[in-house]
Amino acid sequence: MTQTRPNRTLGPGHDDFWAGCAAGELRIQHCNACDKHSWPVVGDCEHCGSTDLRWQVMSGKGKVVSWCCFVQDYYRGVMSVPYDTIMVELAEGPIFISNPADFAYDDITFEMPVEVTFIDAEDAAGAFKLPVFRKA
Amino acid sequence: MSYMELFKVPEPTPELSRKSSIVGVGESDFHADYQAARANTPGYEGHTSESLAVIAFERALADSGLKREDIDGLGVNYLYGGPSAEETAAMLGLKPKHIMGQSGGICAGPIPFACNEIAQGKADTVVLIFSAATRSIGRSFGGQGVTTGGPSSYYYHHPWGWSSQAAHWALIWQHYMATYNATEADLASVAIQMRTNAMRNPNAIMQAPLTVEKYLGSRYVVKPLHLFDLCLVNDGAVCLIIRKADMARDLPHVPVDIGGWGHAAVKSGKLHTLVRERLRPQFQESGRQALAMAGIPLSEVHHFEGYDASTIHLINHIEGHGFVEPGAGLEFCKSGEMDVNGSLPVNMAGGILSGSYMHGWNHVAEIVRQLRHEAGPRQVKDVHTSMFSLAQTDQVHPVIFMRRETS
Repeated sequence: MTQTRPNRTLGPGHDDFWAGCAAGELRIQHCNACDKHSWPVVGDCEHCGSTDLRWQVMSGKGKVVSWCCFVQDYYRGVMSVPYDTIMVELAEGPIFISNPADFAYDDITFEMPVEVTFIDAEDAAGAFKLPVFRKA
Repeated sequence: MSYMELFKVPEPTPELSRKSSIVGVGESDFHADYQAARANTPGYEGHTSESLAVIAFERALADSGLKREDIDGLGVNYLYGGPSAEETAAMLGLKPKHIMGQSGGICAGPIPFACNEIAQGKADTVVLIFSAATRSIGRSFGGQGVTTGGPSSYYYHHPWGWSSQAAHWALIWQHYMATYNATEADLASVAIQMRTNAMRNPNAIMQAPLTVEKYLGSRYVVKPLHLFDLCLVNDGAVCLIIRKADMARDLPHVPVDIGGWGHAAVKSGKLHTLVRERLRPQFQESGRQALAMAGIPLSEVHHFEGYDASTIHLINHIEGHGFVEPGAGLEFCKSGEMDVNGSLPVNMAGGILSGSYMHGWNHVAEIVRQLRHEAGPRQVKDVHTSMFSLAQTDQVHPVIFMRRETS
């Protein structure tokens, strides 16, 4: 079932990320100069400022290092509260904010292993694939 | 002005230490205004940023014992919009020769800037005004309305429903609980201490006693954070008058010297640094700068005012600056060390959790009262050095204040 979500940030660079999701790939920018990743999408490497960035496909594996449940309805009904969000440390290093796919707040343990999956979503710009995480 | 430029401060050098002093302070009626706004009293029209600014300024001027013609510098900080500094000067009947360009609103940049500009001879006596009708304008702090202009973590994660300052603090607290085996009842102690402090301050907004039971029974905003873990939203204004130190004698109050400041920002890996390191590198670096400028060790700080946007963030300050080891902050609070008679009294006017949401300006106003030794039932005994520390989600700016010893 397609879920309505608050709007994505779109534009140069951002569109490449969402195109990756449409292809079933979690792509993150990687810097050839300093060998580190940048997320969210940047114009220049967030670590060293280099423009020598390329998209790297992540393994999709990671672990939950923190999590929280939104009770306050910040999005004014766009998402029905309460809902859970997770902070995933990807195997390659970057931190990725997402949602649990097949588990909930009370199931989560610190550093629980997870892997990416993509669900159908839509926002004001149309349908898209949203990367979320399931138990690994 | 870019987001990062907004928070830069002048280079912290010992040459600028104690060259400027706070000689006047004024606040609006936080408690009475909040009560009136909540009660929707007939005839109560609420405030504007301008009307609040006038109140705070008039009180600060009277407090300082100075005359309008003594004021030759002005910096205004209307966080959510207001008149220009020139328009404000006209409104207040001032004719400043120098208008400060920096107007970030957050009370860490403007103070060092004023000191720097006084040292450069641009002005001798600077009025700084912060005013925000935050509640009256219905300001909200998360959701789709948050777009570019701030750090990307404030808006980028919208598709996952993740937004708001509270969500940053919630992730920190969840990680802290997992790392140090802490419980929600432990964190309640911070909210309760702030409330206890506020109850000794008649101008604090929150005056009702808070208990662990009441804390645990309160609603979650972003779980695991409860209502009482998050700062207030209210209208108000604070005015500080900063004067060249050698001109600050012979005024009604003991001058409060600005001893040192620092600044450190997260450059990359923001969420990792914020949640997994709790800004410790930035607390350590900026604190080191401020202490070196003031020429004192941390052990000389006997009163601390930290930016308590959330209970856990206040603990980040206490641990990050090195008052206690990482993981020891909640036990420190529970054992009463942050109370008025503890080893490090913290946020004596109730901070922004229970005092008033003045973005750090009320913390500095409390430091002035404490260092003058006029804080009444919440006075820290014989205090001579106070540290203010403002940390957002990616920056830390401490400022050190010292009581002028009169001979």
